[in-house]
Amino acid sequence: MRSAVASSAPARAPGHARDDGAAIVRIAALKKTFGDLEAIRQLSFNVGDGEFLSVLGPSGCGKSTLLMMVAGLIDPTAGEIRIQGAKVTGPRREIGVVFQSPVLLPWRTVLQNVLFPIELLKLPRPHYRRRAMELLRMAKIDEFAGVLPRQLSGGMRQRVAICRALVHDPNILLMDEPFSALDAITRDEMAVELQRIWQVNRKTVIFVTHSIREAAFLSDRVVVMGRRPATIIDELAIELPRPRAIAVTEDETFNRLVRHLRKAIEASHAE
Amino acid sequence: MRNNIGKYAATIGWPVLVTTLILLAWEISVRILGIRSIILPPPSAVLEAMAERRDLLLTHLWPSLYLTVLGFLLSVIGGIFVAVLITYSAIVRKGFYPVIVVSQVIPKISIAPLFIVWFGTGTMSSLLLAFLVAFFPMTINAAMGFESIDEEIHRMARTFMGTRWQIFWKIRMPNALPYIFGGMKISITLAIIGVIVSEFVASQEGIGYLIKLAGGLLDTPLMLAAIVALSISGLALYGIIVAAESWAVYWQPPPEAVGVGGG
Repeated sequence: MRSAVASSAPARAPGHARDDGAAIVRIAALKKTFGDLEAIRQLSFNVGDGEFLSVLGPSGCGKSTLLMMVAGLIDPTAGEIRIQGAKVTGPRREIGVVFQSPVLLPWRTVLQNVLFPIELLKLPRPHYRRRAMELLRMAKIDEFAGVLPRQLSGGMRQRVAICRALVHDPNILLMDEPFSALDAITRDEMAVELQRIWQVNRKTVIFVTHSIREAAFLSDRVVVMGRRPATIIDELAIELPRPRAIAVTEDETFNRLVRHLRKAIEASHAE
Repeated sequence: MRNNIGKYAATIGWPVLVTTLILLAWEISVRILGIRSIILPPPSAVLEAMAERRDLLLTHLWPSLYLTVLGFLLSVIGGIFVAVLITYSAIVRKGFYPVIVVSQVIPKISIAPLFIVWFGTGTMSSLLLAFLVAFFPMTINAAMGFESIDEEIHRMARTFMGTRWQIFWKIRMPNALPYIFGGMKISITLAIIGVIVSEFVASQEGIGYLIKLAGGLLDTPLMLAAIVALSISGLALYGIIVAAESWAVYWQPPPEAVGVGGG
């Protein structure tokens, strides 16, 4: 089901990080139905170790469902997901998740919220307390460590959520439209921040979004999902040098990538 | 800060002013109209009775308060326990919960004479009635608190491999605290009613007994003195719960008007 637009595009990925031995996540013939509703028809792709991969698609195309299956929260109807060779059957320690909303616990301070996974996983607290403080420093919110979430802005709360997802040092970070509730200016800021944090930590990231710009700006590679029942309709490597400043979004190269992705999505709508 | 104090003074000041005016009007009209003390004593006579009969009032107040607090505490423990069952057991939730809710229609006070038949005229009847009337709002509030956790928070905890036990203690319990305190505020007032009614029906001591006794003796000032003493005690118990709530539920911003709209 690969569109003609994709194969003729100049910026087409040269099979980057696909089917090579370095894949950390392998998704094969994945299918998910909810009763009569077919959410995901057929998905297969790999994610390379340390790769920043975006899954781009319109709202309600099953992107979040895909992510929840990778997180082990819901089971696929058919097909399988393997992480470091092991089949996913439930939540795993090497995964950190950032959700659409920060989902912080209102009775816990920022630091206590970041340490929440440590408590659940029963990891040694003193060691991870130091790590949590480092993460907060990196996210530039360390001065708010002792503050309750209600005193923070939306962007700051989402930074706390990112620190929480990273605290137990997972190999894989799953992000489900993490900036969609933020205003446009904060969104750009957060994208730059996330890139910086990612460059320091070098986790494998699967980033689900419906923002073409965001996907193009952040990713090494973008996988485009069509409308429900979802399949992959395109795939594009973003070979822009890092670190990328927000000014990159005004370059012609960047805009060509964005146009390419938009056409791919529009083509899927026309079908 | 000064603004806050001003606001506080305003919320407290107006009700105090209105109460003072009502008492003043009461005092003056009773004196001018020459109403007999048996029918309606002036506030000054009630105060006088409270001062003179202090020992008698306290003797009867203590057992009532003791049973109220004990019945209340039992209802809190029992209510939370049953709420946990409702949360985790499908049988209890589907079978018993609706029955509990529907049984709310029964005016539980009407069971008081039955309790006397079963448990005699002693303290046991009062305690059980206090427990019974205070138990339901506790259970329903706590169950709501345990169940009202955000689906997203639940999912977040599951991605970090949280167990049911961890999710209960670290998420459901703190999440339910505001609801539990809401239930406590209703339950404490109901527990007082339960004890007093039981003492009305059959008892040899307690403030309810004293009110009934004073009524029989046509000692209206004593009757009103007992009612005032009971009200002050009830207000104090309620205040303790409000104070405990603002300490325990520290993460919620304080409501606009503190102490208004209680019960």
